[in-house]
Amino acid sequence: MTTDIGQWLGHLIGQVEGVQHRGRHARRQRLDVAPDALPALLELLQGKGSFVHLSAISCVDWPEDGQFELVYHVWSYELKTLVSAHIRIPREPGRYLSVYDIYKPAAFFERDIHEMYGVFFEGSPSMEKFILTEWDGPPPMRKEFDSENWVNDHFDWQDYHPDWLNDIESRGGGIAIRPDEQRFSRKAKHES
Amino acid sequence: MTSLSDIPVIQTPPEAPARGGNPLANVFDDFIRYCRSRSLFMLHYCTGCGAIELPPAMTSRFDMERIGIQPMVTPRQADILLVTGYVSVKTLKRIILTYEQMASPKYVIGICSCTVNGGMYWQSYATAKKLNDYLPVDLYIAGCMPRPEAVIEGLKALRDNIEAGTSDNWKDYYQRYDHYLGNQQRLFGADWQTPTEVIAEAKHYGLFGPDTLGEHTRRLEDHRKPLEPLRMTLNAGRLEHME
Repeated sequence: MTTDIGQWLGHLIGQVEGVQHRGRHARRQRLDVAPDALPALLELLQGKGSFVHLSAISCVDWPEDGQFELVYHVWSYELKTLVSAHIRIPREPGRYLSVYDIYKPAAFFERDIHEMYGVFFEGSPSMEKFILTEWDGPPPMRKEFDSENWVNDHFDWQDYHPDWLNDIESRGGGIAIRPDEQRFSRKAKHES
Repeated sequence: MTSLSDIPVIQTPPEAPARGGNPLANVFDDFIRYCRSRSLFMLHYCTGCGAIELPPAMTSRFDMERIGIQPMVTPRQADILLVTGYVSVKTLKRIILTYEQMASPKYVIGICSCTVNGGMYWQSYATAKKLNDYLPVDLYIAGCMPRPEAVIEGLKALRDNIEAGTSDNWKDYYQRYDHYLGNQQRLFGADWQTPTEVIAEAKHYGLFGPDTLGEHTRRLEDHRKPLEPLRMTLNAGRLEHME
């Protein structure tokens, strides 16, 4: 059954407009979908194609294109095939439809993406904070969020103090390894 | 970048050795310190991967208990707070709450590079970089991760420090509470508060100093919400349901 999956899937998605099919492998199929067509496609895949399991929704930020890419991974237990449906939505205003009515687990993924990227999903049951409950900065997974700057503004730095290590070694501490078990870095030091 | 040696830590020297020239004057204090250093209960706050090295350090292979250190389940009964691994900002709040609940004298050990300077999470917005900004750390055990031998070596060093009376950074938390609170507020926001009366405790221990209060503790008073007493009923939920 898995041998003709590409052909079968191509036939199925022929019923939805605006879908491009790229089958790289029998068990990994990629669909590039127009944003309007995605809910219909998912409904078709779930209802007719036995793709009952939504594995994940992932989000990719493309700041140069001004777009977010949303990837819906759906899995079929009968066909043993993972279909990834890719859509591109404009980065501003970053709104899209929830697929909660088709796949219930989508609520968690959408909530997570809303928190990390600021994409708002209309019709999702909850768009509240999920993991970053005590975070009030910008969505941290967007490419324009400069993690290093934020860290420099909010934290101090310190170095390892090399004297600690000298102290420890002078007291006979550190890791003692038998010469025949030493790795090359220590061995070279030992022999020289 | 600041190095650890630049960070001022108030080290009160042990009591003057000879009171009136009597060599036995401190024998009782020494005895207490000796006993204290030989019976340490350790609360390990397993925040990260370093916790993996603790079960072998505690159990029969390396056997921490032979130097008198045991795990303890509650902060009230623990002497050592072991912070093992990276500390996220959310976790740090809980660590501070846990630390403030512990009874003095108390000691903090930071295990793994992440507690020293963020380790491999140096660039992460969610991970605290220097544990000693927020808590008075007595000892760092560096490594990613430190082997059980290193953990035991560090605990032995702490034991020796306690016995010598040099490991009393917990006093520093009371004496310079404003400094620690300022760093906490910088990270958690100006309305950060803990339910513990640290300032009252500082007065109780006789550790109230000029740096205990400051601009940050004044801000605390602005935001402090009065604690509401809990309703003391038996099985409150069920009774309401019956009514």
